[in-house]
Order: sequence, then C-alpha cells, then structure tokens
Amino acid sequence: MSESKEKEEGLLGSTSSRRDFLRIAGTGIAGAFVTLTLGCATMVRTQDGKNLKVWATPSGAMVQDPNLCVGCRRCESACTIRNDGKASAYVARVKVSRNLNYGVEGVSSAYALANGQHGNFRIVAETCRQCGQPKCGDACPAVAIKVDKKTGARVVDSRRCVGCGACQDACPWHIATLDPETRISTKCSLCDGDPTCAKACPTGSIKFYTWEEAEKLLWGADATSGASAVSGATA
Amino acid sequence: MSQIFGWTGKILRVDLSTGKTSIDDTMKYKDFIGGEGIGYKILWDEVPAGTHPYDPANKLILGAGPLCGSGVPCSGRTTIVSLLPTSPFHGPGSSHMGGYFSVEMKYAGWDAIVLEGKAPKPVWIRIEDNKVKIEDARWMWGKGIFDTMAMISSQMGKEAQVAAIGPAGENQLNMAVIRTGTSHSAGGHGGILGAKNVKAVAVKGTGSVKIAAEKAKVQELDKFMMSIIGANNQMVVPSHPQPWAEFNSPGSRWTGRPGLFWGAANPPVETGVCDPKDMQSVGFRTQKAVFDLGAGAEKYTVRMGGCAHCPIRCHSQLKVPQLEKYGMDPYVSNTCVGWSGPRGVMAAGGGIKEFDGNGADSSVVGNGIGTTMVDDLGVWCNYGQIGRDVKWFHEKGVFKRVLPAEEYASIPWDLLLKGDPRFLIDFYDRVAHKKGELWHIADGSAWIAQRWGLGDDYWDHKDNKLWTRGGYPVHHSNESAGQVGALISCFTNRDAQNHTHQNFIGSQLPIAIQKEIAGEIFGSPDALDPPQNYTRMNEFKARFVKWALVRGRLHDSLTLCNWMWPMAVSPLKERKYRGDTSLEAQFFSAVTGVTKTEAELDKDAERVVTLFRALTVRAMGTVDMRGKHDAMNKWIYTPDKKDGKEIPQFTKGTIQMEKDDLDKGLGMVYKQFGWDEKTGAPTKAGLEAIGLKDVADELGSKGLLPA
Repeated sequence: MSESKEKEEGLLGSTSSRRDFLRIAGTGIAGAFVTLTLGCATMVRTQDGKNLKVWATPSGAMVQDPNLCVGCRRCESACTIRNDGKASAYVARVKVSRNLNYGVEGVSSAYALANGQHGNFRIVAETCRQCGQPKCGDACPAVAIKVDKKTGARVVDSRRCVGCGACQDACPWHIATLDPETRISTKCSLCDGDPTCAKACPTGSIKFYTWEEAEKLLWGADATSGASAVSGATA
Repeated sequence: MSQIFGWTGKILRVDLSTGKTSIDDTMKYKDFIGGEGIGYKILWDEVPAGTHPYDPANKLILGAGPLCGSGVPCSGRTTIVSLLPTSPFHGPGSSHMGGYFSVEMKYAGWDAIVLEGKAPKPVWIRIEDNKVKIEDARWMWGKGIFDTMAMISSQMGKEAQVAAIGPAGENQLNMAVIRTGTSHSAGGHGGILGAKNVKAVAVKGTGSVKIAAEKAKVQELDKFMMSIIGANNQMVVPSHPQPWAEFNSPGSRWTGRPGLFWGAANPPVETGVCDPKDMQSVGFRTQKAVFDLGAGAEKYTVRMGGCAHCPIRCHSQLKVPQLEKYGMDPYVSNTCVGWSGPRGVMAAGGGIKEFDGNGADSSVVGNGIGTTMVDDLGVWCNYGQIGRDVKWFHEKGVFKRVLPAEEYASIPWDLLLKGDPRFLIDFYDRVAHKKGELWHIADGSAWIAQRWGLGDDYWDHKDNKLWTRGGYPVHHSNESAGQVGALISCFTNRDAQNHTHQNFIGSQLPIAIQKEIAGEIFGSPDALDPPQNYTRMNEFKARFVKWALVRGRLHDSLTLCNWMWPMAVSPLKERKYRGDTSLEAQFFSAVTGVTKTEAELDKDAERVVTLFRALTVRAMGTVDMRGKHDAMNKWIYTPDKKDGKEIPQFTKGTIQMEKDDLDKGLGMVYKQFGWDEKTGAPTKAGLEAIGLKDVADELGSKGLLPA
C-alpha cells in the first residue's frame, strides 16, 4: 500500500471526516482516486471529476466555556508570547478581546442584555476548530497550511506563507489572522500538544478536547461556545 | 533607532485647539519609567504653575508603562495625570483605572496619549493603530457613559476600548470620573475632559508589546509569580478553613471555598478549594460580591470580572433583575468603593433599608441602583467622602442653611431617612447636571468648605475622615499600621490610593510572620506594629513609608496594579510565606531588556516621587510643605474617649496618633528622601542627586528651594 493510499484510508476511517468527505464530494467516493499527495493533504479526484483536498483528522481542538471565562485575556498573551515572542491580542489564536465588550455579534440596540461585558457579562471566545475540511487550508494558494504530524492541527508553515490573507478571509470565523507586523498568517497550532492558553487560564475555562468532543461543543443546538455555527461552515 | 522592547516608543499628542496630532519619543522620558512618571514630567515641563485645571493650557495624559500589555500579571492599569480640580491649590495628581484601555493603547502603538488645548466643539478621538482622527461628538454629548461606549463601538468596531465621561464630566464637575469598560473609573479628572470638549478617547490596536528576553524567561517568571500571588489585595490566607491552608482569617478577600458559588452563572459555578498550586482556580479565589455586598449577593453573581492580564478578578458582575423595575439594566458590576461610595450617601438615614417590596434583597438592589447611577453619569465619590459629607451636612443643618428653601423642599429627604435608595436616583441627577445649589457638594471638600462656610468642626470631626485641608479623606491611613499609613496619606493631593503597605499588612498572615518579613525588608520587625496596638515612630517605619510611596509610584508608572503588587508575601508555607519584592525589577528587565536591580528601579520611582513633590511645591508656591501641605487634621491625633476618659495613644485598642510623634515621623520620612527635614521640600542637592537638576534650577529661580 502506498503512503498516500494509507493516508486516505486512515482519513476515511474517521466518522466525521468521512461524513464531510461524502458531503463535499457530492457523490459516492467509489472511483475517487488519489492524484497527488501534498504536505497538507491528499488530493483526490472524485467520480464526477472534481479535485478535492482531503485532510488528516485533527486530534482535537481548544474550546472555551463562556460560563467560566472571566475575560482576563491571559490566554491571549500567553499564546503570543509562546508562538510569536511578543504579547498581542489581535494575533492571538484564541479570540477573546474582540468579543469581550459586545459578544460575537457586536453592538446592538439591546447591548445591555446581549453577550459581553457591556451586557450580560458572558464572554464568548472563538477558537480554531481545526476543521476536518479547513477552509483556511483549502484557500491557501501557497500550500502553507499543513497538518501537524503530531497533533493533527492545521498549522501555518511560515516559510511558505506569502501573507496574502486568503486564509483569514476564508475562515468562517476569521480565526486565522495575518500578523500586520510580520505579514505572516497565524493560527492555532495546539502548541505541539501542550496548549499554552489552557495552562494560562485562571479558571480552567479553556481546554483541549478530542475532536469528537470538540465537535459536540462547537456545533449544533447544544453548542456551548464559539457562538452558533456560521451558515455553510462545516467541521 | 534600535529596537525598543516593553515601551512602544511613541507618545501621541493631540492638540485639540488646532486639531493637529503629532508623535513624541517615549525614550526621552525613560528616566521616569512610564505612566505616572511620564505624566508628571510632562506637567513639569509644559504646564505652568497657576494653571487652572479647566484652562486649555492644562494637559491630561493617559499613560501606560513598559509592562502594560506585556502579559505580566496585573498589568492592565491606566494612569491618568493632570492637575486636580478638587485640590484647593490645583495640585498635580493621578487617577487610575483598570480594565483594558491601556493595553489596547499599547497594541495600537502608544505609550501615552497627551491631550492639549481645547476643542472648539465636542469631539471624540478615534485611534486605530497609527491612524488618529478627531470626530464630532455633538450627537453623543449629554449621553450616559454606557450608551456613549456603544455608540462609539458601533462606529469603530466591537473590539474598541473606550475611555469616556458622562454628564458629570461634561459639566466640569470637580468630582467626575473618566471611565472605561463596564466598571473601571478614574476619579477626579473627568471634568478636565469636559473642559477640553472631549467626550471620549477610543482605541483599537492590532500590534503588540515586544519582549526582549527569551520566551522561556518570561514564562518562567510568570509561573513563579502565579505561585506566590494571593487573592485581591494580595491576601494570602483564605477566609475559611481549607485543606491546604495552615491559617484562615474571616477578614480575607480569599473568599473562594467549597459551597460558595457564582450563583447566577448558568449552571452555577462553585468557587471551590482554590489550592494555591492549582493554576486553573486562581480566578475563583476572590468571590468579591459576598465580600463587598454580603452573603445575599451570592445568588446574584454571574461571574467575577476585572482587568487585562490579571488572574485575580476583583469586580463582581451581578444580574439583579429587580433593577429593571427602576428603568435600569439588570446587569451591574463594580468593586469596593464603586459600591460603597454611592451606598455611603444613604448613611444619613442609617444605610439602605428594606424598600419597595425588595425584602432581604434590598441592599443588593440598592447597591445596584447607586452604582448604575454613578457609572453612567460619571460622578466620583472622592473615595467615599460624598456620603460622609451628605450625612454631616444633613445632620448639622448645612443643607438647610445653604440651599434655597424651594430647592431644599424639593429634595426627597424622606427617602434618604427611610433608607430607600431611590433617593440616589434624584440625588445623582441633581449633582451630575449641576442643578440648584446641592451639586456643589461635588466641588470637593476644600472648595465646599469655603463656599458653605464650614469651620474647624467639619475638618476635625473624626467620622468625616478628612486627612488634610487639601480636602481628601483617609485611604488606608492610621488604621493601616499606624504611622506608616498615616504618613503615607500626607504625600498626596487626593486620597493616597496607596496599597503597597496594605497589600502587605492586610495579607491576613499572623502578625509574628508579618513582623519577621517586615524585619527582612526594612531592617527591623519594629517597622510594623500589631493592629490597634501601636508603638512610637521609629526609623524602620520611616523606611516602610518610603518603600510604600516609592512602590506606589513604581506600579503606577510600570503600569502594574498597586491593589495586588508588590509581592512581599505569598500563600506558600514552604516559602515561609515569603514573596519576592524583586519581581517588578525582574519583569522590567526581562520585558524591556534594560537590566535593572530592585534598588535601581526603586531609584527611578523615587525620582517620580520627588518630581511629584516638586510639582506640589511649585503649585503651592511655598517650601513649607510641613506646615501648608502635610499638616494633618486634628482628629487624627486627638485621643479617643471611653467612659469620659481619654484612652492614651500607644495603648492597645486605639489607633489615634500623637502630634509630636507624627511631626517627628514626617521629618524622618523627609530625611529618607533626602528632603529638607524642617520644611519637607526637596533640596537642591537632593534634586541634583536624583537626576532632577533642571527641576532644582527652576525651583531655585522661583525661590522655592529650602534655605
């Protein structure tokens, strides 16, 4: 069995990936064949002639619990100190600051009752969902977003990133962020399996969950964090 | 220019009169650290003595320091420097707010924002990284602070951080705040923004604070800091017995414990055991709602909030549905005097009592009404003085004497006397909107004493708690380590806002351990007396005073929270409860790459203390600080009486001071700073030795150096 074949079978062994793959392909996968193996994903051609990238399943994702979050933003500074050697909110891979005052939804006439510090105090952070079919990676023209072998996280290869911002635009939650100071994209790498944000959180609000657990927390009617799924976005 | 770490390197100057903005170099102020230090240097260089706070020639500096935004624990403070309208000689002073404003300012690329001149019409200032625009604020003038913030954020984006004034600031009330976030207020400078026609400053930053050291170094320091940090005010002993704790103390702000909840969270969150070694429970330690508002507040607590990069959450965030009945939002947040300031206004009637069918929850509802009013209108309480003043003026017939009869009759005194906090809705509306004569209560004690002809009985009444004729009250004064707290309160032009000593002596550790640690820092355990069992002044207490003053200015310059720092103590038995007083210097060195020892950094802060003192000398036009500035009100050194007999000072059970002893103490503190022991003014030699030769030259030319 070739390496790429093995990878493809491994992928399809995952319930979620298989489901998404089938949905995206639009037809059955019988007859799909591997055309190219890239650093980030496997390129396959479906029966009806579409080219698709298929991604290895991530081990999991970070999820924040808005009921516990106190809005201290220690996760953000710890994240960027580890990953960028500087303290920043904008390029932090976990997004608290932008939702702190008025929630994910932003200001409304009912702000005093809505999410955020100026409303009901609920602080909804957005984290990278390490999507099964990551739009950031699919959109990257430089094949700079790859799968980390150890964690399965979708990570930016800074040597390949051309700073176009396509990943930021493509992500339904705008998690991938072009660092205005370096012109390199940043996104959650799961810190080699030892997430810094979780260690810095003083209330245990942010934690690593296996992908199956994360999916339940992040999508659907029972989702507790990251706001409701954006229309059209998929795991 | 070589790379700068910690500081952004840039100061934004906004000339409101011309609408022009310019960039100044932070590094020319590096001897003054940042934040408060930069503010005082700009006041010294650019605002002439005798300037009225509301004159366009006055400047207002919103400042951050090199550690702000760096992620160092408890580094989210903003220090605002300007002249103080409440001061009878319009002395210099700082006001401070927590929240997220200064961190956003740093990320936008600015160490400080200097507001100069006066805008021809109401404006707000929009700062998006290096893009600065002066915007029309006429449409939001007159609005409360909450709506103002929403209006600005709707234009700038939800991530904007806003510092704004309410009607109190617009109307140039001396006792007005500048507020940021949901509950972070800097008291005393709101009227200056009003006088400059500035409704708000709003900022959004996509940049960063650069860190000089390897990341492993700052991560290691953070880990160490997190191991020795306590609860709010660095209280390191829990309020209840805990499996991990050797001691417990009911007065502690480390209230987290099994069975105590954030009761209005969904589902409710138990604060729990809070073992100091569990980094993921540090944010549960301080359940401040029950500390500030009583056990009844537990079920209303949604969560605890606070400031950027601080794991200790000291702002209670409550959902009080009953507030909707009074046309207010149910969500309300504050801490300490943010609650007790407005609540204190109710003291004339014996405090908030059951009202309007609110039953046992009346106190929480009443606190919510009060804090909503002051936070939206932007009224400052002068550290609780407004409440003590209302009580005194009501009881002594001052209101009846000075208010026109019609106005007096229109005030709902019955609500006040019944303990119905709906009185506050009427009261703060009159005050913030400058209605009638009553609002002058917010001129501040020094001015109101002149206007309403208040005599010595006002100043010398113990329960009025006024510290000097400067018109500011106690703030951890003689009740906090006797002469140490008492003397600290003399070196300021507003309430001392100094928690350096309080975060040490308030740790709740047994006094024997505290005395040991005091001995290590100040040279003798005699630096600290047991509570309410004081001894006479000594050299070591003077060192304690100096340390507290220096670290206060250090924290407000770095900018770190002086309500948590310094880390003199820790909750760790294996460290014998020692903290580490060199941590500020270690973080400073790591973040900025400018290596400084603890003593060297303290020296920089001492320069800021001395510059502040020189500014005060220049503003008052006299070197007689001892007689004209530092002189304490008589009640402080008048013995208490019990059964008609005086309780002698320095006996157990009294905190009253003795005049000769305080006078001696002042001299000892002057000496610690190298100032003239007779007058308390900085000397030529002292100023030159600390790098303030230009200050010495100017004071000399004005005849303001001691002989």
